[in-house]
Amino acid sequence: MAKFLLRRVVQLVAVLLAVTFLAFSALNFLGDPLVNVVGPLAAIPDCDLVEAGLREDTFSTAGNIGDCEVVSRARAQYNLDKSVPERYVRWVGDLLTGDLGSSFQTGLPVSEIVREKMPKSLLLMVMAEIVALAIAIPVGVLAAYRAGRRLDRVTSVGSFGLLSVPNFALGVILLQVFALRNRLLPASFDDSTLWTRLHSLLLPSIVLGLGIAASYQRLLRTDLLTTLQEDFVNMARAKGMPDRHVMVRHALRPSLFSLITLFGLNTGALIGGSLVVERIFSIPGIGSEIVTAVIRDDFPVVLGAVVVIATGFVVINFLVDLLYTWLDPRVRVS
Amino acid sequence: MSNAQLSVRDLEVRFPTSRGVVEAVNGVSFDLERGQMLGIVGESGSGKSVTAKTLMNLLPRTAEISGDIHFDGEDVRAIASGHRKHFWGVKMTMVFQDPMTSLNPVKRCGEQISETLRYHLGMSREAALKRSIDLLEQVGIPEPARRVKQYPHELSGGLRQRVVIAMALACEPELLIADEPTTAVDVTVQKRLLDLLDELRRDRGMSMILITHDLGVARGRCDEVAVMYAGRLVERAETEVLFSDARHPYTTALLRTIPRIDQPSHTRLVPIEGRPPELVNPPDQCSFAPRCRHAQADCLEGVPTLTNLDGNREFACRYPANTEAGRTSFFANEAAGQTVTGLTIAQPSEVN
Repeated sequence: MAKFLLRRVVQLVAVLLAVTFLAFSALNFLGDPLVNVVGPLAAIPDCDLVEAGLREDTFSTAGNIGDCEVVSRARAQYNLDKSVPERYVRWVGDLLTGDLGSSFQTGLPVSEIVREKMPKSLLLMVMAEIVALAIAIPVGVLAAYRAGRRLDRVTSVGSFGLLSVPNFALGVILLQVFALRNRLLPASFDDSTLWTRLHSLLLPSIVLGLGIAASYQRLLRTDLLTTLQEDFVNMARAKGMPDRHVMVRHALRPSLFSLITLFGLNTGALIGGSLVVERIFSIPGIGSEIVTAVIRDDFPVVLGAVVVIATGFVVINFLVDLLYTWLDPRVRVS
Repeated sequence: MSNAQLSVRDLEVRFPTSRGVVEAVNGVSFDLERGQMLGIVGESGSGKSVTAKTLMNLLPRTAEISGDIHFDGEDVRAIASGHRKHFWGVKMTMVFQDPMTSLNPVKRCGEQISETLRYHLGMSREAALKRSIDLLEQVGIPEPARRVKQYPHELSGGLRQRVVIAMALACEPELLIADEPTTAVDVTVQKRLLDLLDELRRDRGMSMILITHDLGVARGRCDEVAVMYAGRLVERAETEVLFSDARHPYTTALLRTIPRIDQPSHTRLVPIEGRPPELVNPPDQCSFAPRCRHAQADCLEGVPTLTNLDGNREFACRYPANTEAGRTSFFANEAAGQTVTGLTIAQPSEVN
């Protein structure tokens, strides 16, 4: 177990280094970070030469001597006077001390932004997964139990329908129907108490969860149909156990493998989906923050988000591996 | 009609498939007296397992079933469509062929035995677990208290089949259907398991249907043996009668495939020529005719009916073995070198 855990930690570190290095290089190749800090002032030619007292004649068009100080201060603050590899190494060093740098836009520390925004997004995603599983498991079991009959066909059509609706469309429709027309649920995020948070995140989590529920349901139904062919299911029925017991106590657990595998892999898609949903329901989560940061090339924020998401992904898949061993005792041996 | 414990009349099971309707079981009737052991023998696809699954209500919904099944006067097919609880598992239960797959891999053995006790008999968790340990001891599993906490994959095949048997016997069923219970285990384990089943059956006065493709397994254990071929019952007789004086050419052919201790060693076993027939749209003829060394022209006209002789035996053949008609037809075919269906009779073989 300790070995297993250690291997996972090494894996996490490797994934983080790879992902952040790629993100870091990509961001630096795409544009000059200086532009994002000081704006048009970055275009002042030969500011360095001015500083060195070699040129004095180029300010009249682009700015004045004071701007040069702004630029050099920015360079120093964000280490922009260093080469890309050196900056990456420094960034990693800071990361180890918990410092993710500061936003180019607002100057706020990224760690603070993450701490402020992440819980809301996390809550949304957790609720979405709960919604998805709460729908997919019962519906999948029922569909497999009534395979080929009307209930199965209806849920199949429903699932394919949900899978083919993009979640921004679903979000807008549900927002219209349940929040704006009927006012059954709040249309935007309310941070005042835990209850209002849960209540106002219910509709967004349904929007996010329904699409996932559909794919979970399809997988679970297929796996259950395979399991139901097994001798031990016949045996359970030959023992006279009621159908519900056979489905839930015998067939369900060995049929959950694909579902939880997808659960792990889905984490990425879920984050992508939450960007959209957060926008529609005005949730000030990490998703909205990422969108803004990417548009404005706010490197430290984007990198911070990448770190958080990659960590989440690896941790979730680690938990999924633990779940496998719970689901099937045979995994524990090997 | 009779006071038999289990009575099956004109059982037919059909499966509609894309290739046509598979006639898996075709007009099977038999009775089983309380405390008796019936062997159902036949090769793969003869309909023996489908018959068992019909009795246990385990067939898929697509199966078309007709005929009557009565257990203790109760209409089993009505129970299947109704919501009667505590019938299967309590009155009638079944053990499957492969112990490797008939235990749930994700549940501890004890849990799998005790769940039946808790559901059918309303036992508490503790009482059921205690009873499970007793049951494992009864089926000869060493260290039963440790075994109940183990998962099936931690047990050997022989032990697993014992767990399955313990599981099936938990609620003291009156009838046990064993579908090839020893096919998947080592030969050395086979006999011990069969003896165990026999012993448990006698102790409890339980009836049993033993399904096997191995006549040798049925011999000496079953009171009666029914031989199935292509979904039909072709011969049924008391075990000793069947082994010493079989009538149906398929039965005699089967008997020639098993080695016997009273024959000199190196006696060549005779395989049955040809292959089992298609069960989709079978022609209206004796289904064994293409492989039968007795076959005559009228064997291809209509399915022979089961004839009942003095109540103890029945068979479905117009030229039965060990009779004058059978001998005549066989000699005629041997002289011609082949039968009416084109089966060549190459070497002169023993008369039957």
